[in-house]
Amino acid sequence: MKCIITIELGTNAVRIFAFDLNGSVIGSMKGFYPTFYSQTDYSEQDPEQIFITMLYVLKNLLNEVIHARKYTVASICFSSSMHSLLVVDKNGVPLGNALTWADNRAKKEAREINASPLADTLYASTGTPLHPMSPLLKIAWLRHNEPDKFQRAGKFLSVKSYVIYQLTGAYLIDYSLACATGMMDIRTADWAEEALQYAGISRDQLPQLVSVFAGAGNLKKAYQNSLGITDDTRILVGSSDGCMATLGAGIWNSDKATITIEDSSAVRIAGNHILQDEKKRVFNYLLTDNCFISGGPSNSGSGIFEWFVKQFGDSTGAYDMETCLTTLLEEATKVPPGSEGLLFLPYLLGERAPIWNPDARGCFFGINIQHEKQHFIRATIEGILYEIYSIGRLLMEHRDIKGLSVNGSFATIPFCSQMIADMYNVPVYVTKHNNSVSVGAFLLAATEMGIYRTLDEAAAQVEIDKTYWPQELHHQTYMKYYDIFERLSYKLSDEFARIAELQAHRTQ
Amino acid sequence: MYQFHYQQGAAGKLDAFPHILEIYAKKNTAIQLQSFPQQVAKGLCIYFIQEGKFEWWVNGVHYFLFPGDTVLVLPGETIGNEKGLLELGSIYCLELNIKPLKQGELVPGVWSGLGQAECAAIGKLLHLKSTSVLSRMSDAGRILTSLFYEIHHLELAYVTRVNQLIDELIIAITRQLTRQCLPARDFSSIFMKLEDALRKDLSHQWTVEEMAAIAGMGTTLFTEKVKGFTGFTPINYLINIRISEATRLLKRRDISITDIALDTGFYSSQHFSTTFKKLTGYTPGEFRKNNTYTE
Repeated sequence: MKCIITIELGTNAVRIFAFDLNGSVIGSMKGFYPTFYSQTDYSEQDPEQIFITMLYVLKNLLNEVIHARKYTVASICFSSSMHSLLVVDKNGVPLGNALTWADNRAKKEAREINASPLADTLYASTGTPLHPMSPLLKIAWLRHNEPDKFQRAGKFLSVKSYVIYQLTGAYLIDYSLACATGMMDIRTADWAEEALQYAGISRDQLPQLVSVFAGAGNLKKAYQNSLGITDDTRILVGSSDGCMATLGAGIWNSDKATITIEDSSAVRIAGNHILQDEKKRVFNYLLTDNCFISGGPSNSGSGIFEWFVKQFGDSTGAYDMETCLTTLLEEATKVPPGSEGLLFLPYLLGERAPIWNPDARGCFFGINIQHEKQHFIRATIEGILYEIYSIGRLLMEHRDIKGLSVNGSFATIPFCSQMIADMYNVPVYVTKHNNSVSVGAFLLAATEMGIYRTLDEAAAQVEIDKTYWPQELHHQTYMKYYDIFERLSYKLSDEFARIAELQAHRTQ
Repeated sequence: MYQFHYQQGAAGKLDAFPHILEIYAKKNTAIQLQSFPQQVAKGLCIYFIQEGKFEWWVNGVHYFLFPGDTVLVLPGETIGNEKGLLELGSIYCLELNIKPLKQGELVPGVWSGLGQAECAAIGKLLHLKSTSVLSRMSDAGRILTSLFYEIHHLELAYVTRVNQLIDELIIAITRQLTRQCLPARDFSSIFMKLEDALRKDLSHQWTVEEMAAIAGMGTTLFTEKVKGFTGFTPINYLINIRISEATRLLKRRDISITDIALDTGFYSSQHFSTTFKKLTGYTPGEFRKNNTYTE
């Protein structure tokens, strides 16, 4: 029997799933790796630990599940989080840690380029917003701040490219992940000359651009021996986690969007053309020929609610975040939609789409003497979801959205799924297999093997588990408050800048 | 509170306890010059604030102390008031003759009833302490009061009782130290603190008990939590970090494979080689040949 293995190099952990060719999960394992925050705005990971963790988990899954049950591995398909940057020397050896998507050190570069005429040119060619998360700006930061390291750089890679290079010796990046670097011309599927010039690098310092279906070559012999895999196993470059999550949610060339809410969030749609947003707020990633994933990412998500739980949850008793979270969610249901006029701006980590303001900060607004703890709990959840809704509104300027598929731990909490349905006023679907990234990778690999003819056909296989229908009255209430939420998000821009400046210098 | 002051060699009452350098209960009613200058601790010192407000510096860190606070000073660390004055109030002090081992760990002597693994875990935690002050630790005051009573009255089986009380004090302090430094409920923060401790001292032969103690949990709950959070057992997670670090070091030319093995916590280069090859398929030597850092 054959199986397909999907490897997701996520923000905090590698998750490896094994599927049979019908799409049923045979087994799965995960392995955590840490993120280091050595300074404000820095977010780094050890590439060796990511690689070793991946290897360790893969080996265990193969030994304990795949080989034990006599499966042969037909295909291994990769996905990873976006916007990571790893600099390696000419021998492929890392020159320090990888910077993650959450690394905001290139704020100054982002401000400067967004104020210049080059911003329009770059957005028109790359289709992605210019933000500190973008590897393009991270490279510019490196050139300005660590010239020695910049000079020694052989290649500028993503974490996924590094892991594939370690396994096969090939420097590759798929189109969708390359779009997320801010350096690929989405119209020609080639590196964008103006972006390379701005970064001060040449195209041979970047990995080779390939299709998401491309093979990455064979595993090095030592890994083949260690893992018990032969040249017959196809190693697929795969895509980014965002694109895989969209595919795995069954949203494909339709009038539906997908919402993923984990620590951070995103709203995405798939279509056959890019969305050129006048204000440069929407990202566009090329997945396959004439197939684009467009949308907006948010820094708000379950991480923000966990912050609230840590600060204001019941701190007595055993260590158990989940129980505490469940208790608070129950409390939140005691308050009507709109939290009786209490609003929360969830910008504790700055914000990306739609306001694209790394200086944005959190705020409770409208507090009166009658508000109690449960109002604050509900307002926090509503604030996170208003923010996600604001990205949906932005996408609705370009396309109709008649339904939503939600995935990720936070979005699939029934209370939250219902709230999303009420805010958007459209049905919300939760699929059977909540791990949409892995399902997407499976569908991609299965399509490459010919099990499905197209990705459309593959996406149609995704089964819905539950549907949440919108409640009109709740929608009307939410919209009244959302209007204030949206106005506050933009109106407070000057105050955000001033408070962020003071916070940055609070030790002086 | 009655006052007393026993010093090793100067008071017969401590003859049966060579591990106690000094023990006293002091009520300070007048401020005198040079009554509490900054000094280097010879052994492990435990101070307990009974009354008053004190402003002390422990190893250069400034603390305000209030009744119920317990201060832990390791051998070689400094303690005292910046102006050299001891403020008005009452304090207890116990100084134990426990010297740090080569890696900085503190292990109680043969007088202690603590097992070898427990001693190692406690020693490691004391060495890794991130604060010197334990807030509102009334337990320490209770134990010290009993200790003074036993030494003062010399009743039947007082030697055993005194040693038990010292063990109890050390256990209570170590547990409180761990709990105080941990953000309640937030396992990801607890785990990052553990990760930091492991990485700082990768050559140490970490046991699950030591790791669990850093996380402030029993070993069963700790193992379960780590498995859920990381996907690995604690020992497998540790091996994972060791191999990752070794992989990084192998790419440098200036460090031998044996040194890498020992620095990253393997018993020998053979042990390292076997573990490394099992995971990667390469021996460390082969891996180094294929992956060399450019200068």
